[in-house]
Amino acid sequence: MASSTPTATTLFRRLCWDGTVPIEVKIDSKELPAGSDRTLESFYIRAPRVSYLPLLIQEVKTFLFDLVLDEASAKDMKTDDWWFEAEGGALLKWHWPVGLLYDLHLVAHPAPDFQMKPFTIILHLASPPTDKLLFTPSIETCKQSFMGQLKEADFLRWGNTKRVTSLRKEDQDGLWEGIVEHNFDDFWRIASKIAPSPNPLAPPLTPNPSSPTLPAPSSRPASTQPPSGSDRDNAYSVRSVPVRIYLPDGPVIQDLVPPFLEDGLPHSLSLFLSAQLPLLFKPSPTSSLSPVDPNAPKSNLAFALIQGVIAPLDCEMAWLGACMSGADGWVNVCIGLEK
Amino acid sequence: MEGAEALETYKKKDAAKVVVRFKAVGNAPIMKQNFYKITAANRFQAVIQFLRKELGWKTGDPLFTYINLAFSPAPDDTVANLYKSFATEGHLIVNYSTTAAWG
Repeated sequence: MASSTPTATTLFRRLCWDGTVPIEVKIDSKELPAGSDRTLESFYIRAPRVSYLPLLIQEVKTFLFDLVLDEASAKDMKTDDWWFEAEGGALLKWHWPVGLLYDLHLVAHPAPDFQMKPFTIILHLASPPTDKLLFTPSIETCKQSFMGQLKEADFLRWGNTKRVTSLRKEDQDGLWEGIVEHNFDDFWRIASKIAPSPNPLAPPLTPNPSSPTLPAPSSRPASTQPPSGSDRDNAYSVRSVPVRIYLPDGPVIQDLVPPFLEDGLPHSLSLFLSAQLPLLFKPSPTSSLSPVDPNAPKSNLAFALIQGVIAPLDCEMAWLGACMSGADGWVNVCIGLEK
Repeated sequence: MEGAEALETYKKKDAAKVVVRFKAVGNAPIMKQNFYKITAANRFQAVIQFLRKELGWKTGDPLFTYINLAFSPAPDDTVANLYKSFATEGHLIVNYSTTAAWG
């Protein structure tokens, strides 16, 4: 970890990184070869939120080979053909982080008391629907997809991918290895060269006459000032925060998310969600620009789940980008309906 | 309006179209026409398939696609999302190459 990263940022990054989700892997018994022990069809696993389904296969394989399959069928089993489905038949995207799959499942199938229940997924041992999976689900293509997301996030933030592409090959590989090994220090030693910092050490804000409501003890630079040398990596200097909104059962919404709005106010989750989803989130009280839509709800009909946490709507988007993004640099906002 | 009703509204596919501009990289063949209007609700995968067809590429022929010479988007991302974030002068620029260029 770079010594300049503030302690609070490291804490949030650590909490996101250490987060795990409970998963029940059920094996499609129809696909089990003869001679398998069919009393052991479920396998429970605590998967890191930053991991991916193909990275869980090794652990599931050990279980299957040790306890379920007989020796002959274990020898013939090819993990290349394995793929995952949610209960009920929805295909699980193996190039999405496990934490995102879990949160999406949670908002689409809310438990009565919002308890943390295992997410049941079905493992198929044969006939992957490659057209729907979009890639051959291998660890190598998963890594390629991760690097693609990392670069897309970099491009959104700075208008180029120099921060990622200027990493040495071994550092680029080291990022992926950090995820595979679930090693915080190994990952963040490299990732802190790419990720923006909320940087509380930035010079104090000069008063901005156009926004008298701005909270006083601010440590962020004004959006109108070009970033100086020390602000090069500041989360509040980015062009856009990499954010995607996931609605239960689709769609996924992505747009430019500048850290400040035209009136100089910091862009908040409340402003962002009421602009993107005006039928679900009431207009933000701090929004002075947009006229109120007559169809706008009087109270919020939905909530935002980020890294498994119901996010306070006054969170600033730049802060979310620095502290609550996934390993690929993206802030994934899952929307659930209020009861 | 109820929350569930609102969700249904957001599920409706937008029929709007956006301009996609294809640019060859390296040895990739140049297309006679390189501007196309593509339905924004389509996934990027549809753009890749369209490009393969236009180039007469067979299954298994290598084709790598990038946005703004910088990154490969996820094939399940929508053209609309990519357009909103990365369009240049009203076009979404899609680079294509027969070898991995910015992999």
